[in-house]
Amino acid sequence: MTHPNGARVNPEVNLPGARRHERLRNYPPVEEWDHHVEYDAKAHPRKVPHTYSLIPTICFNCESSCGLLAYVDHEDLSIKKFEGNPAHPGSRGRNCAKGPATINQVHDPERILHPLRRVGERGSGRFEQVSWEEALADIAGRIRAAIVEGRRDEVMYHVGRPGEDGFVERVLQAWGVDGHNSHTNVCSSGGRSGYTHWMGYDRPSPDYANAKTIVLLSSHLETGHYFNPHAQRIMEAKQNGAKVAVLDLRLSNTASHADLWIAPWPGSEAAIFLAVAAYLLRTRRIATDFLRRWVNWEVYLERLHPDAPRDFEVFLDRLTEDYASYTFEFAASVAHVPVEQVERLAAMVADAGTRLATHTWRSAAAGNLGGWQIVRSLFFLNVLTGSVGTEGGTHPNGWDKFIAHFPDMPEANDTWSEMLWPQEYPLTTNEMSILLPHLLKDGRGHLEVYFSRVYNPLWVNPDGFTWIDVLKDESKMGLHVALTPTWSESATFADYVLPMGHASERHDTMSFETHTAKWLAFRQPVTRVAMEQRGIPYRDSRDTNPGEVWEENEFWFELSWQIDPDGSLGIRRYFESQERPGERMTQDEYYEILFSRSVPGLPQAAEAQGLTPLQYMRKYGVFEVAKDLYRLDERPLTDAELADAVPDEHGVLRKPVTLDSQPPLVGEAGAVGVRHEDGTATAGWLSPSRKLELYSTTLADWGWPEQATPGYIESHVSARNIDRDASEFVLMPNFRLPTLIHTRSGNAKYLNEIANTHPLWFNRADAAAMDVHTGDLVRVTTEIGHFVVRAWATEAIRPGVVGLSHHMGRWHQDGHPGSRWVMGKVDLDRSEDGIWRLRYLEGVQPFTSEDPDSERIYWDDPGVHQNLAFPVQPDPVSGMHCWHQKVRIEKARPEDRYGDVEVDVNRSREVYRRWLAMARPGPGPGGLRRPEFLMRHVTPKRSAYVAAGRTADGAAR
Amino acid sequence: MQYGFAIDQRTCIGCHACTVACKTEHEVPLGQFRTWVKYVDSGSFPDTTRSFGVMRCNHCTDAPCVKICPTQALFKREDGIVDFDNDRCIGCKSCMQACPYDAIYIDADTHTAAKCNMCAHRVDEGLEPACVVVCPTHSIWVGDLDDPTSGIARLVATEETTVRSPEQGTGPNVFYLGADRAVLDPLAAPVDDTYLWARPDAQRLAIQDDVDRDHVTGARTTLNTAHPRPWGWKVVTYLWTKGVGAGALALALLAHLMGVELGALGDRVAPALGLFGAATTGALLVWDLKRPERFLFIFLKSNWTSWLVLGAYVLSAFSGGAILWALAAELDVGWAMTTLAWLGIPVSALMAGYTAFLFGQAEGRDLWQSPLLFWHLLVQAVMVGSGALAVAGLALDLSDEAWDLLAVSFVVATAAHLLMLALEYAGRHASRQAAVAAHIVARGRYAPLFRLGAVLPAAVALLLGALTWGDVGTVPLAIAGLLVQPALIAYESVFVRAGQDPPLS
Repeated sequence: MTHPNGARVNPEVNLPGARRHERLRNYPPVEEWDHHVEYDAKAHPRKVPHTYSLIPTICFNCESSCGLLAYVDHEDLSIKKFEGNPAHPGSRGRNCAKGPATINQVHDPERILHPLRRVGERGSGRFEQVSWEEALADIAGRIRAAIVEGRRDEVMYHVGRPGEDGFVERVLQAWGVDGHNSHTNVCSSGGRSGYTHWMGYDRPSPDYANAKTIVLLSSHLETGHYFNPHAQRIMEAKQNGAKVAVLDLRLSNTASHADLWIAPWPGSEAAIFLAVAAYLLRTRRIATDFLRRWVNWEVYLERLHPDAPRDFEVFLDRLTEDYASYTFEFAASVAHVPVEQVERLAAMVADAGTRLATHTWRSAAAGNLGGWQIVRSLFFLNVLTGSVGTEGGTHPNGWDKFIAHFPDMPEANDTWSEMLWPQEYPLTTNEMSILLPHLLKDGRGHLEVYFSRVYNPLWVNPDGFTWIDVLKDESKMGLHVALTPTWSESATFADYVLPMGHASERHDTMSFETHTAKWLAFRQPVTRVAMEQRGIPYRDSRDTNPGEVWEENEFWFELSWQIDPDGSLGIRRYFESQERPGERMTQDEYYEILFSRSVPGLPQAAEAQGLTPLQYMRKYGVFEVAKDLYRLDERPLTDAELADAVPDEHGVLRKPVTLDSQPPLVGEAGAVGVRHEDGTATAGWLSPSRKLELYSTTLADWGWPEQATPGYIESHVSARNIDRDASEFVLMPNFRLPTLIHTRSGNAKYLNEIANTHPLWFNRADAAAMDVHTGDLVRVTTEIGHFVVRAWATEAIRPGVVGLSHHMGRWHQDGHPGSRWVMGKVDLDRSEDGIWRLRYLEGVQPFTSEDPDSERIYWDDPGVHQNLAFPVQPDPVSGMHCWHQKVRIEKARPEDRYGDVEVDVNRSREVYRRWLAMARPGPGPGGLRRPEFLMRHVTPKRSAYVAAGRTADGAAR
Repeated sequence: MQYGFAIDQRTCIGCHACTVACKTEHEVPLGQFRTWVKYVDSGSFPDTTRSFGVMRCNHCTDAPCVKICPTQALFKREDGIVDFDNDRCIGCKSCMQACPYDAIYIDADTHTAAKCNMCAHRVDEGLEPACVVVCPTHSIWVGDLDDPTSGIARLVATEETTVRSPEQGTGPNVFYLGADRAVLDPLAAPVDDTYLWARPDAQRLAIQDDVDRDHVTGARTTLNTAHPRPWGWKVVTYLWTKGVGAGALALALLAHLMGVELGALGDRVAPALGLFGAATTGALLVWDLKRPERFLFIFLKSNWTSWLVLGAYVLSAFSGGAILWALAAELDVGWAMTTLAWLGIPVSALMAGYTAFLFGQAEGRDLWQSPLLFWHLLVQAVMVGSGALAVAGLALDLSDEAWDLLAVSFVVATAAHLLMLALEYAGRHASRQAAVAAHIVARGRYAPLFRLGAVLPAAVALLLGALTWGDVGTVPLAIAGLLVQPALIAYESVFVRAGQDPPLS
């Protein structure tokens, strides 16, 4: 564009978060971002100017990836503060408390600034500073040996907070190892499983902003995926008249805003949804045309009513009959809620039409045996009402998320790690990470190098004492490398502790389904960017970050280089500069290529501003690839997609594949869409049938025919399983608080000062019946041990259920490093026969540091590390750790002290074996280890899916 | 022009983003807050509800903190923002007593008063305050309330709004939409032993049983911040030292005018007590400043509406008067003594009583707003002043006339003191806050100290004093005079603490 006077005028870049209140605006204009003058708040009203560069990055404190603007002071290149990024379409310039608190993490006096190597035996808690070079040489040598010796399942990267989609995956693929492990089965395997068996896609993306009815099984107005962006849109919808129903066992902040709060007995949620479904069916308030076209109803009839005519009306009748037993009364009775609540929910859902936005992720899905069926039942309501992919409905995440894949991808590997994907759990949606220590104890394998990456496995997983046993055992874990910005319980059991950067100290591209748009945001080492802007030289991010903190990307590139220094393994070339062969690729080069070649529309948008794609992303920190995409299932296939594609008997269009083909992240290799009866060919879903699978042939054919349709599985903590007369309760241990971040907010003082106690939520009537008062100590006994906690008698939780929030119960051993903002000092003791005891020696106390606030700490409660006392309880289908615990509660005994935890790890093994026996092992049809369409972060070649001794046809070799 | 906030509690999700954004913008020390979120839970399962309220400075139209601030460190800008200049602040904490909203704290780094100033440094540059920018649900509005076309003015005009503690008459400029009364009314939801993820401070825990609960909703505060009493033993003590000094000197002056010869008691002891009272009062006052080295700012940067400033001048005048009196008496200059006596009595009365005006400016402390307080302070001064003179009188050879004067003064003052206590604590109170404070004193947790430490010794002293009229000698009067000193300290300690105990947020 040009001005009439000939000067170049750039088209305006959309800043969805920019706002004005008369003369006040919420952000300085973009033109000022490289030299914004702001006056010192503390010197005010004296005018003391500071000049800042405002550099966009992305918050690292939950997965939402909200935009941040770092204020980098020109004078000393220090970071002053973080505000939101108005260019970010998801967060729109706004943040939750955790965004601005990033500054605490950057300036945390307790953070790890240099690479450290352990001294003495593993777990001694003693470390010495080591150079990056020494650390890299050691780690690279061991990985190289594992690769060269064909031990390609012995290198494992275990991730807590994920970074860039596909980045480490590409690194692992280049190494040719099957080693991506996630935290997912303490998180969302249950949720994912429920969605996956409907549509392939494993996550929902509700279009809250346009919804008429919103049904939440979780607390998205205060935590979770994706708290801030979702809260914005949920409240907008509410203001526009939408009604909100929340199912939660406790009065969450989210429930406090609900028009209907139902606190059902844990695990009964599916019964409630199925009762609503039955109501929709019998009143025919369903989207018939949608069901006819997009639900695999013929398969439903074929499998469940083989004698019935293949007729849609017959199907509807049979379906209605099949669900007729789910009456409101039945649901109310298993849920222990008033029947009126179920009726109200049904009316709200029915009134929504195609504007029904539903969401569940963890909560009930993560709490209960069979939690994945709760999800399946919830999404059933979307399917019946035709509110899938609609305006105001619920979308699959893939429609609202954009992954930029680097164009130069290594060949897929053909390895299969039984430590990640044990044969007992062929349908697990993600790696069986909770079982890792048990699998190692079983002798199923050995790990040469284990990376725990921004992850605290011994704390966050159940059965942490078994983790300690394994982490300390060098015969099972050769080398433990903790990649972390801050001390965690697990890091003290590492051989190397390598400091990684916070939100402002690393590169990542991020994209999440916050609303009906696809955006790609850019996390940046902001000081480095400011230095570059101002022509200040640096070697890499170690020169620009505090201490020797390194950004992870550069670390992985360098590590890969050192694994294959001469390029003979074929690894090095993926990390080599394309411009300067034989030299290392820089991050600038990597992102220049990524943004130029893998992000549609970005090169053009950048050019319109007179910028390169990388410059554009450095300046704005985000690019919106598309928005307002609805009903992409109806997207007609392109000629390119249709070329060579042949329909199977159900109309699924597939291109030819071989055993060397690599399946995509989600979906089957070669599958492109579906041909309908009317002859149209559209993209459909990523399920095997490319339709919404009311009847999942996968579930049926892999051993779970009775669960092939949405159903109600009685939870391990159903009311029938809890003997209230014997002081038994359901413990809900997995709810989160709006200001804390798993175990990663210990370094954010402004967050800790808001939430710093750890009471056991105890219904007032229940507490009174046991003569327990607020503040009293109680002993909570699980199947493998017990812990001691303080009670809070409250009306904010349902009877029969007690709740203890996630996050707290942080500790360090006497003399070991830790984060003193939140950790108490403990004595850890293990008897010869496997009885572990943890007891606090001191609570949180003020300490002296360069930050005067550390002497002002006024809280002392480190909380109770309850997870230690939980056995592993993997759901046999989804692999999800079923968080809810059946517990017995009694008043504390004389010998009990606050925070005590005692566990018998022999009992842990027994419980592990009992749950393992509930699994239905593979291989499945075709001799496969796992259905191909299920999501995997690093998919190997199809050949790897074939279990040893089998062929793809299932015949024994 | 009047900048203000509108806070929409209908959409507020209680996420604390405003709190943290504010803290990072201003680098607020741990444990201190310019804005925070209060939670209140009400009802019983399954009808439990939770309400949020975002608390902060109200940028009052008639800001009591500005009025009381002795050094103009707090000031109202032309755009209506109540701002502060920490270069001028002496840390006297009187603004914390004046504010009925718990909005002000003494910054742990600078030891000066601080509060929400609407990010004036940003507003000056055309930028919204940090809390407005960050709020995920855009529940915080900022703008000119005086401009009817502004978004905030339209919001306030078209929606139903409430303000915090309107009865304080400060003209708050933070308007709440859809706020639960139990959140805005600091007395409506006492704490119930704990918060949901933090621990209440000792003061809130202590008062939870002194406040009546709503038995229908059972409303209880489940999250809030700590606001410890700004004034403690130093203020208690100076209320006593001031009383002794003013009372003793005033009696000497009165005796002179009445022609009662007190001798050395009037000429030396009384002015010495006066000076001692004034000096210790001054020293305690300065000691209680968080920036004591800036105490001269009271005189150099005086805010003439502040009774802290006027009081400092009273204190100075009184001290000067005491010295002149001692000089005049020593040199036996009769006309000067008479002149000083006429002038000195009202000054002494002000010395004893100006605190009533200062406490009257403490709009946040309803117990201290009592119309009786000025007279009560005078009575107390006479009581402890005459008592102190009686003790000293034992060592001197006083005339019967002199003893009579002391006895009459003491007995009348002590009786009046007890009568006023009865009126104060048995009577009705103008506000619920004052009633709660009075309840704590008379029937609550301070009752033992109040009854046994303050009332009983004063009553005994009254009896002993009355006996002296029966010619039983002077020793009982001296004992009585001694007794009332700790009794008054005990009372002031109760009065000062109770006044600051009821929560304001």
